[in-house]
Amino acid sequence: MATGFIILFGLTMLYLAATSRIVAHIRILIIQGFLLFLICCCGMEHHNWLSFAFLTVETLIVKSIVIPWFLFKVTKKTHSNRDVAANIPHFYCLVVATLILLGGFLASNYYFSSMKMISPIYFGVSVATIIISLWLITIKHKIISNVIEFITMENGIFLLSLSVSKEMPMLVNMGVLLDVFIAVYILGLFVNEINKEFNDLEVSHLSDLKDYEYND
Amino acid sequence: MISTILIFPIIACVLVMLVKKKAFGTLMVNAYAIVHFICTLLLAAGIWENTVPYFAVDSTNIIFLIVLSLIFLMVAIYNTGYVRHLEGSDKKLSHYSFMILVFVLSMTGTLLSTDLAISWILIEGTTLSSAYLIYFNKTKHSIEAAWKYVFICSIGIALAFVGIILLNISSGAINTMNFEQLYQHATEFDLMWLKLAFVFMLFGFGAKMGLAPAHFWLPDAHSESPSPISALLSATLLNSAFLVIVRVFKIMELANCTNYARLMLLVMGFLSLFVTAVFVYHIKNYKRMLAYSSIENMGILAIGMALGGAAFYAVVLHLIGHSLAKASFFLTSGNVLELFESKRTKSVSGLISADSKTGWLWVASFLAICAFPTSLLFISEFIMIKTMILDKHYILCGLFVLLLTIILYGIGRVVIKMAFGELSEDKAKVVEKNINKISILMYIPQIILLILVFTMGIYIPDCLNEIIKIAAGTF
Repeated sequence: MATGFIILFGLTMLYLAATSRIVAHIRILIIQGFLLFLICCCGMEHHNWLSFAFLTVETLIVKSIVIPWFLFKVTKKTHSNRDVAANIPHFYCLVVATLILLGGFLASNYYFSSMKMISPIYFGVSVATIIISLWLITIKHKIISNVIEFITMENGIFLLSLSVSKEMPMLVNMGVLLDVFIAVYILGLFVNEINKEFNDLEVSHLSDLKDYEYND
Repeated sequence: MISTILIFPIIACVLVMLVKKKAFGTLMVNAYAIVHFICTLLLAAGIWENTVPYFAVDSTNIIFLIVLSLIFLMVAIYNTGYVRHLEGSDKKLSHYSFMILVFVLSMTGTLLSTDLAISWILIEGTTLSSAYLIYFNKTKHSIEAAWKYVFICSIGIALAFVGIILLNISSGAINTMNFEQLYQHATEFDLMWLKLAFVFMLFGFGAKMGLAPAHFWLPDAHSESPSPISALLSATLLNSAFLVIVRVFKIMELANCTNYARLMLLVMGFLSLFVTAVFVYHIKNYKRMLAYSSIENMGILAIGMALGGAAFYAVVLHLIGHSLAKASFFLTSGNVLELFESKRTKSVSGLISADSKTGWLWVASFLAICAFPTSLLFISEFIMIKTMILDKHYILCGLFVLLLTIILYGIGRVVIKMAFGELSEDKAKVVEKNINKISILMYIPQIILLILVFTMGIYIPDCLNEIIKIAAGTF
């Protein structure tokens, strides 16, 4: 059962790579949050109730309600609907993302099947998610897209922490929550400020600081 | 004592937010600096208890704490003079003081923590608090710098977290992030996962430390933030991230993966030197130049760690020397900026005739950072070169000296032109208008720091030398 959800989680990354509407990206975040919750439910035997309650709050409330709500608000305020001007056409984005995901599946099957400490499929998909997110960050032009991909990367890391078949120390979980929560809050605030200052959310505006030609 | 260092700023923050007066905020920053300094001295002397849950003073972190405390005290003194002429409402300046308190608290916490997870959380805390400080001037450039800083460091820290998860995988049945316990069980770790974990953690914390190739945020952030903050960022924040790398390196050492870890550090160290040597020639902004110099010095620290043996002692000396000299350099650059109202190197010349004190401090800071004898950095770099020769790494040694010479020439050219060139008439008018902004408090910290750097090159007090030796022994 968990394997099915993990594969679905991997597929959401393909959807993210193939679409340009920001609203669709935020919806993907909601789906990912919910899938992570279901994956946590499937692996319940590894957790005590406190840890499970914590994970529920983290996935259901923070990842699939609070963060998307905040991002929807930011999108509305900044009127950013699409990220059309990516460096690479969406079709090629999809192809590359698929190849990375395939690589993740293959790696998990061939190399890590002998490892007892981790579940291979979790490992493969989470690593593929992290790589796809990092790659998408480099090719997208809107700042808000970068924030969304940053969150999908955090989701990938979260899945990786679930892949460890023993329990991570509680402290670490709290750290992740703090990280996601505050990072999104701060990044969101900056998105607003940048929008106010530059009247736009293109990454290319943020390239004034460089070594060769510099204006005070 | 540790609880005082950690709880005082929280109370101070609450008070600053309640009172919301510029003078009160500055007072609280100064009060914390003094409390921090006294507590650190007492902790170093071993007079008071030095352990609370999750935080402790040990032989490794005490030297980092002393450096942080001293730099913070000096920056606080400078800051008192600096904020007098800072424009902004009481509310904005209270936020500024508030964030300085949070920033120093997070750095102190990072240094003192005995747990990798807590160090990681607090490093994230430093990013968040310093992002506001970098954005303080609220210009287009400062928002760009702050955005890059938050984004690159957040990704770096997220990757460091992947490293922590991989470390947890490699540690097998041992379910802890406590450094002491990790050291104890290091021999039982699975080496493949441990090596992978080290790569992620080195890259993640290395991003925060300013090691190439994840250094891109550093020149922007250092050049756009107010000068006292640049000094804090360069002289203390980078050290905090370095301490975490030192601790992780020790795990690698105990798990018999030293060669692998050394190779990684060596590559990143030389890459940092190379990047600085390439970029330092084209820089049009003197604060960016200082930031690149920080990247270079972090590279030297990484190379020192990679060399091992006697170089560990040199690493500690270099850390102290760089922090003192660079803080002085950045604070003086604040004076230059106040006087000339420009960060362009072309716009500044004849600094000594404009304001002789600032001019000579600028030259002396340069001499300190370029390892001119008797600067402490001369001793540290000399020991590193000696270690390389004794270990028969002749090519590395040649490359090291070559890159340092290129960087020295690049920085020296700009500094000398700025200090000794002609002062044009219109610039003289600007300087005359602004000279009143520089109070005595904006000279004293640099003088103290430079005296310390040049004195420690000849004489290090026995008690301090003992602390340095013990710290180097634990690396």
